[in-house]
Amino acid sequence: MDRNLKLQIYRNMILSRRLEERIAELIKAGQVGGFMHPGVGQETLQCAAIAALRRDDYMLYAHRGVAYWVARGIPLEKVLCDLAGREGGTNRGKGGVMRVVYPELGVLGESGTLGGCFPIASGAGLSIKVKGGDQAVLCFFGDGTSNRGTFHESMNFCAVRKLPVVFLCENNGWAVSMPTERSTAVKDIADRAKGYAVPGKVVDGNDPEQVFATVSEALQRARTGAGPSLVEAKTYRLWGHWIGDPESYRSREEVEKQWRRDPIPIYEAKLAQEGVLNDSLRSEADADARTKIDRAIEFMQKQPFPKPESALEDVFA
Amino acid sequence: MRTITYAQGIKEALVEEMRRDPTVILYGEDVANFGGIFRITSGLKEEFGEERVFDTPISENAFVGAGVGAALTGLRPVVELQFADFLFTAGDEIVLKAGMWRYAHGGAYRVPLVVRCPSGAAGVGPEHGQCPEAFFMHAPGLKIVSPSNPADAKGLLKAAIRDDNPVLYFEHKLLYAAKGEVPEDADYLVPLGKAAVVRPGDALTLVAISAMVPKALAAADRLAKEGHHIEVIDPRSLCPFDRPAIVESVKKTGKIVVAEESYRTLGVGAEIGALLMEEALEYLDRPLRRVAIPDVPVPTAAVLEKFVIPSEEKIYQTCRELLS
Ligand SMILES: Cc1ncc(C[n+]2csc(CCOP(=O)(O)OP(=O)(O)O)c2C)c(N)n1
Repeated sequence: MDRNLKLQIYRNMILSRRLEERIAELIKAGQVGGFMHPGVGQETLQCAAIAALRRDDYMLYAHRGVAYWVARGIPLEKVLCDLAGREGGTNRGKGGVMRVVYPELGVLGESGTLGGCFPIASGAGLSIKVKGGDQAVLCFFGDGTSNRGTFHESMNFCAVRKLPVVFLCENNGWAVSMPTERSTAVKDIADRAKGYAVPGKVVDGNDPEQVFATVSEALQRARTGAGPSLVEAKTYRLWGHWIGDPESYRSREEVEKQWRRDPIPIYEAKLAQEGVLNDSLRSEADADARTKIDRAIEFMQKQPFPKPESALEDVFA
Repeated sequence: MRTITYAQGIKEALVEEMRRDPTVILYGEDVANFGGIFRITSGLKEEFGEERVFDTPISENAFVGAGVGAALTGLRPVVELQFADFLFTAGDEIVLKAGMWRYAHGGAYRVPLVVRCPSGAAGVGPEHGQCPEAFFMHAPGLKIVSPSNPADAKGLLKAAIRDDNPVLYFEHKLLYAAKGEVPEDADYLVPLGKAAVVRPGDALTLVAISAMVPKALAAADRLAKEGHHIEVIDPRSLCPFDRPAIVESVKKTGKIVVAEESYRTLGVGAEIGALLMEEALEYLDRPLRRVAIPDVPVPTAAVLEKFVIPSEEKIYQTCRELLS
């Protein structure tokens, strides 16, 4: 990975973290409503995986966090307008922040019913194959979601048809209040790949370079017609399941221990040691993130709410 | 009588039925250790143990289908879906298994299953905010209830758990905090299939379902001040459906408005319209009017949601037009 790529991933991580913090403030202050599942702790893996995509690839993201959009380069203004249910976003108030889309960059959306993403990702893979392209599809999902039947059916379907889909599991140890070891019989989700004769790899989701390398390899495999892969990134959800979650199901000690593994300072230290990052670059990334966010919030606050009658539009083309 | 919330009514029903009958079990995502995402089931695992109250993986087909299997073999499972919309996720298990197993096997089995379905628009958008009762009214073999107040919430859930058929129990998210008087009697049941006349009147029949009932009552209050005495009927149970209650009321009033949070086309109002065509056409002195969602998914943004979800004002205006 070259210096620029490392810095690009780093900047996206910082921008995502700062944005998430600001969104939490906005929600707590009652300035915006909605359902927000924070991705704090998982931005690293999301930014690194998305950095491996080509512009013309497709992606389906999961419900956790803002990094998917930040890393894919969707303008922050649009994301914030979706969050606030205003004009100027990507879904015109119809879907809220859980359903940011961006066709220009192959961002197909998210399934609010967990597991709905797998068949859709498979379909995107199918169309690439039928059209004879060499793009790939990256499909994010949580460890809990891997217990849906759609996961198993789609893995098999992609495997037999050799569809160019990379299934990327963000295993953060929890599904709301359910720890993975109580919901899932295998130790590693990646082990399930064997059942479909596809490669299954476990990576440290807190190490962006490992994630980037493994996802790149899986995408490459997809592009050459060799079929799908399953990548499992082990990580941790540092905040609650949603903003306002009482988190009564897990211990303070567990969370504190995981904060010591917060991937952002760890990556900062690594980049500093390599001479890629110094204090001035670091404060520049932070200041730049804050300015972008301020500007986007200001834009969002000036946008009108959609006209009520527009609720009737968009049902049919 | 004491005053409790709708949420407490649901919880009391669960606790009382589990104490009364050891075959009642309760499970779903996050119901045990966390007490449910809407905090209805907190403390139940502590009282009844992990065999009877437990958390499931995110596997709706598996756990709803398992509810059918458990019901066939002697348990009375109460399964929680976190959102009513997820009924579609487990569509085969709900419609083709729970609804049809008994029929398809010549009545050899009973399916005493309850599926708890938090429903209704609450700023959460198209996949978490629907009232899908009408979809499932079309599926044979499923009983369907939609309580609108704490007493019915408790009494209908207890009756549902004791019923030998699969029951979809729709609890409206915006009603959880609603308060009302609820009997303490451990055998207080509200029979499935019996509508309630929540406000008697003779000028017009206003049928309202679930969260539409408080709005309908408020609209009826306003109309009363203008001298119109509206009869508000809460069907409470959509299957079985208390047809005679509605027909009788229309015979008296000659006018009917149906307010529901379903999509308009083939919603509950459409069924009521057909019923009246068949059984009471000569008594109607005006065409039926429906207040429902105008056949668009439930949008997320507050302004849009407010526009499509029937409001008190809309119900009031529709009644006014019919009365003039
Ligand atoms: C089919 C379906 N079941 C349940 C839910 C409710 N729900 C939303 S997020 C969530 C937990 C998901 O866990 P996981 O897949 O591990 O992802 P994480 O939240 O940990 O990122 C649940 C149960 C849903 N949206 N869809």
